Amino acid sequence: MNNSRKRFIIIEVILAMMVIVLAVIMLKEQRGEARRKVSVIVQDSDNSRWSAFRYGLKMAAEDQGVEVFVVSTGDGMTAEEEIEAVKYEMNHGADAVIVQPVPGTDMEGKLKKLEKKVPIMLVGNTVSNDRDSSKFPITETDNYVMGQAVAEELSSDYNGNLKGKTIGIVTADGNSESAVNRRKGFQEVLENSGVNIAWSVFGEFGESEKNALKNQPRVDIVVALDDASLTAAGEYSAAKDLHGAVLYGIGTSTEAVYYLDTGIVECLIVPDEFNAGYQSLTEVAKSLQGYFHKMKDTTLSFTVLRKEELFSEKNQEILFAMSQ
Amino acid sequence: METKCLESTKKLKPRGMQSTIMFAFSVISVSIMLVLGIVMYMKFSSLSQHEIIQNTKKLMEQTGENLEDYLVSMRQVSDAVYYNVIKENDFSGQDNDIQQGMNLIYEANRNDLRSIAIYNNYGSLMAAEPIVLQKEDINVTRQDWYGQAVEEVENMHFSTPHIQNLFDDATRRYYWVISLSRVVELTENGNPLYGVLLVDMDYSSISRMMQQINAANNEQYYYLCDGNGQIIYHMRQLQISNGIANESSKVAAGYKDGVYDETFEGEHRKLIVRNISYTGWKLVGVIPDSAFTHGMLNIRYFIVMLILLMAMMLAVIHRVVSERISSPILKLNDSVMEYEAGEKPEIYIGGSQEIRHLGHSIQRSYEQIDILMQKIVLEQNERRKSELDALQSQINPHFLYNALDSITWMVEGGRNDDAVFMISELAKLFRISLSKGRTVISVQDELQHAKSYMNIQKIRYKNCFSITFDVDAEVYSYCCVKLVLQPILENAINYGVDSMDDCGEIIVAGKKKNGNIILSVTDNGIGIPEDEIGFLLTDSDRVHKHGSGVGLVNVNNRIQILFGKKYGLTIESELDEGTTVSICIPAVVYTEDNRKVLEKGHIFGREE
Repeated sequence: MNNSRKRFIIIEVILAMMVIVLAVIMLKEQRGEARRKVSVIVQDSDNSRWSAFRYGLKMAAEDQGVEVFVVSTGDGMTAEEEIEAVKYEMNHGADAVIVQPVPGTDMEGKLKKLEKKVPIMLVGNTVSNDRDSSKFPITETDNYVMGQAVAEELSSDYNGNLKGKTIGIVTADGNSESAVNRRKGFQEVLENSGVNIAWSVFGEFGESEKNALKNQPRVDIVVALDDASLTAAGEYSAAKDLHGAVLYGIGTSTEAVYYLDTGIVECLIVPDEFNAGYQSLTEVAKSLQGYFHKMKDTTLSFTVLRKEELFSEKNQEILFAMSQ
Repeated sequence: METKCLESTKKLKPRGMQSTIMFAFSVISVSIMLVLGIVMYMKFSSLSQHEIIQNTKKLMEQTGENLEDYLVSMRQVSDAVYYNVIKENDFSGQDNDIQQGMNLIYEANRNDLRSIAIYNNYGSLMAAEPIVLQKEDINVTRQDWYGQAVEEVENMHFSTPHIQNLFDDATRRYYWVISLSRVVELTENGNPLYGVLLVDMDYSSISRMMQQINAANNEQYYYLCDGNGQIIYHMRQLQISNGIANESSKVAAGYKDGVYDETFEGEHRKLIVRNISYTGWKLVGVIPDSAFTHGMLNIRYFIVMLILLMAMMLAVIHRVVSERISSPILKLNDSVMEYEAGEKPEIYIGGSQEIRHLGHSIQRSYEQIDILMQKIVLEQNERRKSELDALQSQINPHFLYNALDSITWMVEGGRNDDAVFMISELAKLFRISLSKGRTVISVQDELQHAKSYMNIQKIRYKNCFSITFDVDAEVYSYCCVKLVLQPILENAINYGVDSMDDCGEIIVAGKKKNGNIILSVTDNGIGIPEDEIGFLLTDSDRVHKHGSGVGLVNVNNRIQILFGKKYGLTIESELDEGTTVSICIPAVVYTEDNRKVLEKGHIFGREE
């Protein structure tokens, strides 16, 4: 075979290969790239307190071109159930998982094992109570600082004169990092204020429950450090079962805002749940799109809501996200 | 640097004809295809861009009309409440009629409405539909919609979307509404007074319309803003308010209806603006450049694929065409190259008329060259032969004169037997000399000739020397140039043994050595001075002291003409010791064929 013929065949083969590559690319373009799927596992996911979070997830999913699926969970999800849910999602095509971890034995180790298969991002709280030693990327509002903020607002309302005041603290979950650190932050600020923390309860607060708030001794101030406990306390207060205690707390639902609006809650701290959803999913989507992208922690802000400024332009946006 | 350039220029070999044609064709066609491809793409791109803008405008026109219809219907609700309910009834005694009238209107439009409410000039609620509890401590006069209505009493006012903050909703929910407010004239206890009629439209109706047009999964999107650039609907509303995203709504709010170019956050994009009547709102369509290219991506691939396929096809066509054009020339070139390499192929004649003519011409020239070459070879042979003949012819008269002179004095001296012997030897000598005109004879004949010659010379020189023949019998049958020994023997007698008294000795030897025949004549004469030896074989014009003057030069030339330059004579001599003259010729068996070949001038083993 002479050189000219060889060259001709090589050129034809190269051109043919280019045509084939182009055809494959065209077909791929026509089919459209399959969207990556991210599953989200949070406690009591259908509760309205997740509305802003879910809206943030939805917006981020549209912006990043990923598919997001919020797993329907109940209120009392255990650590084992949560691990099973993560495994189930992984086995059913989830490319990444966003988890609000439930306190449990060796939860961090179990999640770490699963993280080898797909990226895991935490939201809301870390697994261990020491936030700095968390082995997972996390998107959350600093729970300790939020606890401090509640105390500062309370202190400010009483001009720093809280001596002799009695306080009851309510949290839905006593062991989670968020509850522990919020309580810690709250208590540390009021440590030397002379305030008396009469009781601290957590768990279920229904009428029939042991922890029913109306059964607690009378206090001047009740502080609810999460949305579930705040709405529960709000209900008691609305029913005049809180013995006239002033209510402060942290909440993310329209119910919580309603109690602020109706004067039942004095001051409401609202963590930026829209951004919790948006930033966590954005970070996860980026890690799925870029092999070398390392997910990083995001600390979000919070807003202090008072009845007087509830309908200001800025605060209306918070309500807008909650109302979705 | 210059040297390098020169070297690289030298390295550049001239391309083959087919490659050159194909290269030229390919360059031209690829250039044309590229230009065509680019022009085609630009045309498609411009058409597609135009199409996208037109479609966007149409969609926006339709959505604008829908929005306007919706807003008109809300205005109609407001008008209906005002003219059919408020104006027709007195608030002091006809509460039920008012409530009923409002209820009818509300029910008819409940999908788009959140609530209808009438406030008096102090901000107190006069009537509301649906009937719900008003929030405590509400001061509506501080709310924007109330202020706007009171500020311009003759107009209806559309607010930007906001959370409704009027009623205590038992479901603990908050609604996003757009308020349509106007100042109305109420009658209470027969007294006219001013109030504000509020129609709160459900924001979701507008957001639904906007979501529908934003549903297409391309990069273009639509948003709604008021005359100040305040966003009413944007698919990324919260991202914008959170600072995650930005929008140029303030700039767009300043535009009238039309299409505008802008560069926003480093990206060029087109804005299509449409005013919404009655409100001063702007419906804005945004088409980033990437949306145009996104749609063009497939066309881009298609054009590149088309170019590649055409390139493949053209490569085949170019090859066929260039082969057709160059093939006859290449064949002709190949046959000429073969001819140059020493083969004798038929010169290729084929292809187009011009190439055929060229082939014919080359063939004719080669034929003529062949004829001329043969002629030259023939002439050369003739010339050699005539030279040889001329050289041989120099021998005979000289020797004949000497021999006849000897016979004459023998006859005169009465030595008849000697004369007879002499004559018979002379006869043998001439028989071999003639040899039917042949130039090449066998070594045996040449030795016989030498013997005859020496017998004659011995008589003439009165046996003053002795002659010995020491020749291997195997060399007899090889070819030899005629009469080469005789001049050497003559020299040996004249210069070697002539002056010696009865002790002269000449030895003729012959043997085969290394494929050559070596014949030598050795005498024990006075020898030749060293400086003389060099001239003996080269200088034919020297004056000879004795003999015919036909010297060793003659013999050497004859041998070399016939056998080549590497054969001939060699002379070794030492003063007072003697001289040996050796003849070296190739060992060619004496046959008739070999003789003829040699005489024709073809030299055995010669590389010329």
